Amino acid sequence: MNIVVCIKQVPDVDDIKWTKENNLDRSQMLSKINLYDDWALNCAIKIKNQFKNVNLTAVSMGPMQALEVLQYALAKGATRAILLSDKFFSASDTLITADVLARAIKKFVPDFDIIITGQMAQDGDTAQVPVSLAQKLNIVDLIYTQKIINADKNTVSVNQKIENKINVLETKTPCLIAINDKQEGCTPKIEDYIRAQNKQIEIYGAEDLNLSKEQTGLIASPTMVYRAYRPKSEREAELINENIVDKLSEFLKG
Amino acid sequence: MDKIIIFCEYDFDKNKIKDSSYELISKAHELKKNARELLKDENYNYLTEAVVLADEIAQSEIEKAYKTGADRLVLIKNPIFRNFDSIIYSKAFVEYYNQNPSPWILFPATPATRMTAPRITTLLNTGLVADCTGIDFVLKDSTLKLAPTRPTFGAELMATILSKKDPQCATIRPKTFEIKYENNKEGEFLKFDIDIKETSKIKTLSTIINKEENSYFKDAKIVLACGFGISGDNGIYYKKVEKLAQKLGAKIASSRKAVDYNYMPHKYQIGQSGENVAADLYIAFGISGAIQHICAMKNSKTIISINTDENSEIFKYSDYKIVADAKKIIDELCKRYSIE
Repeated sequence: MNIVVCIKQVPDVDDIKWTKENNLDRSQMLSKINLYDDWALNCAIKIKNQFKNVNLTAVSMGPMQALEVLQYALAKGATRAILLSDKFFSASDTLITADVLARAIKKFVPDFDIIITGQMAQDGDTAQVPVSLAQKLNIVDLIYTQKIINADKNTVSVNQKIENKINVLETKTPCLIAINDKQEGCTPKIEDYIRAQNKQIEIYGAEDLNLSKEQTGLIASPTMVYRAYRPKSEREAELINENIVDKLSEFLKG
Repeated sequence: MDKIIIFCEYDFDKNKIKDSSYELISKAHELKKNARELLKDENYNYLTEAVVLADEIAQSEIEKAYKTGADRLVLIKNPIFRNFDSIIYSKAFVEYYNQNPSPWILFPATPATRMTAPRITTLLNTGLVADCTGIDFVLKDSTLKLAPTRPTFGAELMATILSKKDPQCATIRPKTFEIKYENNKEGEFLKFDIDIKETSKIKTLSTIINKEENSYFKDAKIVLACGFGISGDNGIYYKKVEKLAQKLGAKIASSRKAVDYNYMPHKYQIGQSGENVAADLYIAFGISGAIQHICAMKNSKTIISINTDENSEIFKYSDYKIVADAKKIIDELCKRYSIE
């Protein structure tokens, strides 16, 4: 059985640092695995532990720094890791990201049964790459997955949670599952990282995927940022620094 | 004539077009004025075309589509649409679109459409701007470009994103725009019969509906919102806020991080992948103010925030700020309201 997990390294969105000019100060921010992708990895490892001979390939697209999240995936239990890294890939939008991932999966894991991804990336919030990737690979997707009930080489069933409704869905492999809820998993220990060092992370660029500069990254992406700004607030806060609880109770009385 | 397509979602249980689709019909109609101003041409016009995938559509809904701004309503007709399947929906729409193209398509950012729209734009090999909270036109190289704006974590906070290719597409978050009526407005109705041989590859084994979670924030007067700043201590401060809310008849809201880390159930989450709330009084306990959270609560009347960080984002959107440990304030409030 062949499982692919797509993971992304993101800046820590809960620790946003701004420069004086109101730009993100990335140098002051930590990078980590996208939380939703970590849940996807936990699901994949759970399936791997249920069966014999499961190949679990972690794939990430990003700068060389993203080797960190692949080392993490190997330490957690992935059996193979692939980094898609090329300066031509940078600033790819969702369509082009899905295209690069689809080409890589077709070429390097052509016999995949299940692809598991996070529902969205914390730094982009689009939730479009999983669906677009499934379309590029011409397979079924089960997004908004709250829980994988069962997954084997032939069949997959999941709980899909949409607003106040849970759909119990079943489909045949190959398919893509996007995880939208927390999944328990283990935190790798130092010895897991040491063991993972024996595994070589494969690194591929645009050329390996038969992509020219014009077919990927910023140039090929159909969308472009036209204007970016921080929204101005219409409010100006008055400081409450004494009799705080009295004043709060006044407000709460209405 | 140019045309803007609104991909509409049909509610087969209630036999009506969903409000989130009407919101986009009204907005698309209203934007004609902006287009005329940009082009400096008072005679410029485009067609607002609402497209519905269904087997039939109630006459009252057709009338309502015209009155809310549609110049044309197209029914892509097949009984298979009663059972939603993103692959079948996207292929059917693309078949219609390829025969009836337009430069612009708007999608409501509802779950079903967020499953379908990326398949459509991938099939059309074009871009899709996700989960927008604003939309307008801009003039670029003397042509009208759809200019959707979304909160993002790029170099800045809000980004207006254009598409270099046609169709230019965006999904728009529900409740971003109002439904507006023009009582005398008329339109035309077209049917597009479509032959579909494909069947769904996904089997629905069962569906469980949790009624309790239905529109939790509807008519909320007071909202007590919990952030990650009150985490730790085994989550006891979230429990304390729940007790306060119970005593005060208030609703509880949560930041995404508090939900992601399992301190709070998802039904309390506002902002991205959660609900919007417009309360009379909104008190934020230990919320730093992620943009998605702020977008979701900024229409509240009075906003009070408590945070230890004097520079926290949420203070910029508040009427009153308290620079203090929210846990301490919660303890004092509990004491005041005799909560253990």
